[in-house]
Amino acid sequence: MRTHVAEPWIEAPLQTFVDDAHALFALLLHPNGQVMGQFGFTRAVDVMAACALAAAIHASAGELGKELDGKPFREMYHAGRDRQIFIGDVPTTRERFVFLTVFDSESSLGLVRIYFQELCELLEHAQPTTTSQTPISGTSLEHDLNRNLAILFGRAPLGADGGESSLSLS
Amino acid sequence: MSASPFESVLSSLIRQRGVLGCLVVGEADGIVVDSNVQVGIQSNVVAALAAALYRKARLCSAAAGLSTVGFLQLEAERGHICAIGRDGLVLVTLAEPRAHIGRIRGAMLDSVSVLA
Repeated sequence: MRTHVAEPWIEAPLQTFVDDAHALFALLLHPNGQVMGQFGFTRAVDVMAACALAAAIHASAGELGKELDGKPFREMYHAGRDRQIFIGDVPTTRERFVFLTVFDSESSLGLVRIYFQELCELLEHAQPTTTSQTPISGTSLEHDLNRNLAILFGRAPLGADGGESSLSLS
Repeated sequence: MSASPFESVLSSLIRQRGVLGCLVVGEADGIVVDSNVQVGIQSNVVAALAAALYRKARLCSAAAGLSTVGFLQLEAERGHICAIGRDGLVLVTLAEPRAHIGRIRGAMLDSVSVLA
């Protein structure tokens, strides 16, 4: 199974992480919940839910960390009976992302932390030199959330310029 | 603050000739419990990978009907990685090529009871 990404520069770092860490699921998103890349999910609605929850957990933990420690918690880990979840902050020089991964006993927290650090470095080097930042409004946020989901699940036809055009999931 | 129960074991291992570092690692999570390593060794990375290696070796041995892993030794171009485990903990030792592996093996086998 391959990773699916909204922007091509994310694919190689994310695929490397998945291959090395033997992750079952991986999700890279903006802190606002906009998905940038995923591995393991088969339904857009699951990605949407996971992104919303990961963004909320990340924001809550960040504030909790500030209260307790004076700085946001960067990594979170929870071990379930069969599967474990890791959520980490991915700071790059231009943008900040949130990374979520689920793994089982084929991997371990130690391995995931190593390859997460490697993922951060790969993303730092792979990111494009210029990014088009547009102000976020309620309309554009929903538009961007839906556009990236559509791209990941192959529902966005190519635009006239050869790039992906937006497509509502509704 | 009380000393770690592994401190004496790690201290005796690190004094062996050619030993670069020794660690006690959780087998399931690959996280360092206690360590005594020379400067420059990435103990977190070594711990996670060595624990994964030991775990795979244990599963392989069991699948092959060879029962438990007694002592695991990886011989590389520039040194050795030795591992021994019990009750979810793994004792890992890194050594130079010139190290006396027989003595290290003996010391590690003598120390395994502290992991229980």
